[in-house]
Amino acid sequence: MKLWLYIIRRILLIIPTLIGLTIIVFILIHVRGNNLIIAEYLNPHLTGAARDYAIQQLYQRFHLNDPLFIQYFYWLYQVINGDLGLTRTPIYSGPVNTALALFYPNTIMLALVSSILIWIIGIPIGVWSAVKRDSVFDQSTRVATFTLYAMPAYMVYLLVLIIFAVYLKWFPISGAVDPLLLQGVSWYVNGISYPTHIIFIDALLHGDINIALNSIWHFILPSLGIALGGVAGIIRLLRSSMLEVLDQDYIRMARSKGISESEVINIHARRNALIPAVTSFVYGVAGLLGGVVVAEVIFNIPGVGYWTVQALLNNDAGGILGSTLIFGIILVTASLILDIIYAALDPRVRY
Amino acid sequence: MSEILTINNLKVWFHTRRGTFKALNGVNLNLRKGEVLGLAGESGSGKSTLGLSIMALLPSNAIIVRGSKIILKNRDYLKYFELFPEEKIDRKFKIKKNQKIMKHIRDFLAKIRGKEVSMVFQEPMTALNPLLQIGYQITEALLAHSSINLAKRILSRINLTEDDVREILKIVKSSKNVEKDLNEFSKLKKLDGIEDQVLYILNRKDLSTIRKERMIYSLKEKMKNPLTMSYLKKIAENKSIGIYRFLNRIPILKRYLKGVLIKEGYRKAIELLAMLNIPHAEKVVYMYPHELSGGMRQRVSIAIALANNPDIIILDEPTSALDVIVQYQILQLISELKYKLNISFIFISHDLSVLAEVCDRIAIMYGGRIVEIGPIDKIFYESLHPYTKGLLRAIPKISKDIKTIESIPGTVPDMRNPPNGCMFHPRCPYVMDVCRNKVPKSIEYSKDHFVECFLYGE
Repeated sequence: MKLWLYIIRRILLIIPTLIGLTIIVFILIHVRGNNLIIAEYLNPHLTGAARDYAIQQLYQRFHLNDPLFIQYFYWLYQVINGDLGLTRTPIYSGPVNTALALFYPNTIMLALVSSILIWIIGIPIGVWSAVKRDSVFDQSTRVATFTLYAMPAYMVYLLVLIIFAVYLKWFPISGAVDPLLLQGVSWYVNGISYPTHIIFIDALLHGDINIALNSIWHFILPSLGIALGGVAGIIRLLRSSMLEVLDQDYIRMARSKGISESEVINIHARRNALIPAVTSFVYGVAGLLGGVVVAEVIFNIPGVGYWTVQALLNNDAGGILGSTLIFGIILVTASLILDIIYAALDPRVRY
Repeated sequence: MSEILTINNLKVWFHTRRGTFKALNGVNLNLRKGEVLGLAGESGSGKSTLGLSIMALLPSNAIIVRGSKIILKNRDYLKYFELFPEEKIDRKFKIKKNQKIMKHIRDFLAKIRGKEVSMVFQEPMTALNPLLQIGYQITEALLAHSSINLAKRILSRINLTEDDVREILKIVKSSKNVEKDLNEFSKLKKLDGIEDQVLYILNRKDLSTIRKERMIYSLKEKMKNPLTMSYLKKIAENKSIGIYRFLNRIPILKRYLKGVLIKEGYRKAIELLAMLNIPHAEKVVYMYPHELSGGMRQRVSIAIALANNPDIIILDEPTSALDVIVQYQILQLISELKYKLNISFIFISHDLSVLAEVCDRIAIMYGGRIVEIGPIDKIFYESLHPYTKGLLRAIPKISKDIKTIESIPGTVPDMRNPPNGCMFHPRCPYVMDVCRNKVPKSIEYSKDHFVECFLYGE
């Protein structure tokens, strides 16, 4: 019950952060000048009086003649109603929120699968390399993690791709789902699936197990690549914090009770060692949700990172600011989730 | 008094990169039933190492040398292991092979750890896991060794009939020796474990008689579901639990199998904590270590050590991190427990005044050897060994107006290259030629008072 109140208080506390975030994004929009704001909406073929009239209309529509702080509230109202402006990039032109609905699901899927992989690969290896300190297993893990650390991300992705897709042919080379499977599917319209926009979940909701499995199958390889890049840090962190915990008095105390070694490690050591690793993990996932540009390009998955880079290259303000806003919200939410996890894991956190 | 623990010629060395650290060099010690033996000495004299060796909790670079004997209740545990002889431990020593042996010893002795010997550590602040409830940490010790008792306690409450309750109340009201009668009653009716629970209720001081009777009435518990019942019966009869081990891994089922035992463990933990004079034990079991004070935490550590009714408890400087008043309370508690439960204690401390409060005998350690051991009066008033005399002189006295604190000149020897002969000879004011070459033998100067020094004997 107390934890519940703490969560509500933390959620209320993120409101000021979000207001600050929106103010910064709003100022960034207006730094560019009014002309650029309406440029996206203006018909370039108009000339003379008609053009002036259209500009006047747009000024009125976006309340550009009002003072800036009043404009902020109009803009905020617009954002809350889901209107983030327009974007124009080679891969997509149209409203920003449609673009997000199109690109974000792939990123979310990628982030989820790869973070699950990081978790299930990282924890056992990190824990075991600390428990079996200086053993062959520990030494080889050390070599492997430092190799992964040192390699640039794209090289890891290409290696994974070459090994598993080109030589072994276990996984498809690219794409988010087999497009042939989606032909004539009623819940898939113009590249967007309904109702949640995440193909895997929608397929499960509509009972198309085939499509769901196919989409998971497509996502394993890019996720594995991303996970291999991210898991090295988690393993090193977990190993060092585990070693620190294993040296503590309460571990010796636990052993003096005569409980089995596996219980000492699983109940007493692991949970304590996880606390520092959780921070790194949650911010890692938040980073993944912001888009993994290189992975998305190499594995040809139309994700939000890919789209943001296109927007940057094409000087497309709508896209950049839209994704900035969303990414800011994700980071704020991540820190909220982190606080809740801390409170649940560690009774010493006061709430 | 019978001897419960005998240590013969115990040598424990540590393998380090800069040579072998000889922490214990032939310790001879015996511990009798129901006594408190104090172990005193400077830092680095091997007091804690001795405690850890009895518990088999030595770090992985420790070497127990061949010929060492730790005999607990007439069983010599070390004889099963192929230990390395003294000559072989040199620069080319294979530490990996020894680590395996040490691991075997650790695993082998897991079944006596906590059950026959248990230990209370120095720092109450760090000795408890900050993420686990107090009750769980006590329950864990119970589950490791006496889950049979826990299962019997639950079954005894379930099997209790109304007539039994009436009989118990009759015993409680009329009997002169309640404890004995209750024991007989529970044996007769095959209700093992009910007597503890009734006695706990009776011993509580904060309840009225009527309230206590009502609590005894409410001991009766309803039948549990068949799965739980069969699990409890299997455990109570000490049969192998086979398939339940897998069922215990399934989260929902676990609540009805192991969870029942854990809940009972919390009940037993409350009784233990109440025995150690912790107020509001019902609430304390659900607290976390950071919510308790240092003295309370040390009591919880003692409760964990007591959980399985061990024969020996090793107290490794249990009062050093506490303030004087709490220290006094803990010492009171230990002397109380000594009389109540007939447990032997080994009390490790560098503070002779603390040892004077509780101990029956005191052993003085120096350089990994016990240089003097004897009854407390003899050690304090008729001390023989020059080191003991020096230690006693180094206690500052409030009654005198002192300008300088007396101490023993010199420092503890470097145990990587210990001095030849008597360990104490470089610092000894009475040093003779023989001290430099020969190790003194233990001499019984008077009854029960042994000393290792050439000044005495022939």
